[in-house]
Amino acid sequence: MSRVKPTVNFIHAWRHPDEIADEVEAELRFHVQMRTHSNIEKGMTPDEAELAARQSFGDFDQVKVSCCEIKRGFPFDLKRLRMGMYIAIACLAGAVSLWAVNIPHHNVFSVLWQLVAIAVLMRSFLIGRKQDRPHSD
Amino acid sequence: MSKAKAGLLQGTLDMLILKALFLGPLHGYGIGQRIAQISGDELKIEEGSLYPGLYRLERRGWIESEWDVSENNQRAKFYKLTRAGRKQLIIEEQNWERLASATMKALRAS
Repeated sequence: MSRVKPTVNFIHAWRHPDEIADEVEAELRFHVQMRTHSNIEKGMTPDEAELAARQSFGDFDQVKVSCCEIKRGFPFDLKRLRMGMYIAIACLAGAVSLWAVNIPHHNVFSVLWQLVAIAVLMRSFLIGRKQDRPHSD
Repeated sequence: MSKAKAGLLQGTLDMLILKALFLGPLHGYGIGQRIAQISGDELKIEEGSLYPGLYRLERRGWIESEWDVSENNQRAKFYKLTRAGRKQLIIEEQNWERLASATMKALRAS
């Protein structure tokens, strides 16, 4: 269920990029305003407070661009999708090979053959994942 | 001797954001404040870097956001932890403890 909202957000970000940019900007501006108020309470003049708030925030435009890019980023783990793709390829390969040798699909050998194909591809996926994983965190 | 504030190790910002939100929903500015508060003002987060972190966590489904009215009656985006985010926080804490204890062991080796 936790993937539903990120997927909806992803689609929304692609359909309404300007709306997303405005939303991100409003959020970042709120932060700078809050910091400015805090600086004024500490005794700075309003101009000093705003300048200090902008400096402590960093590059406003760069942060805004980064946030918009992340919002438009693909919300799924590509490694997991790759596993699904391997399984689909395995099933397809199994079906094609059964069709080629003309074995009926309800035959026990056809089921075994597909399981072997899935196992081989799953193993290659797991080996690939182990190699992708960094050695230390 | 001056008291130096600790910089953040790579990858710890996500865990700190999750921890801050574990204590209740907050807007981005509040999250920065809460992290400073729970770390006894020892951890200094570059304010702008907080937001890409928040957006990444939201994309992973670990936090979710909605617009609401802040304590000073302004519109603000509030974040809260999802169930997946709670699970992830437990995993991150365990990983962190393991890493910290292994690093201490290595440093104490004679």
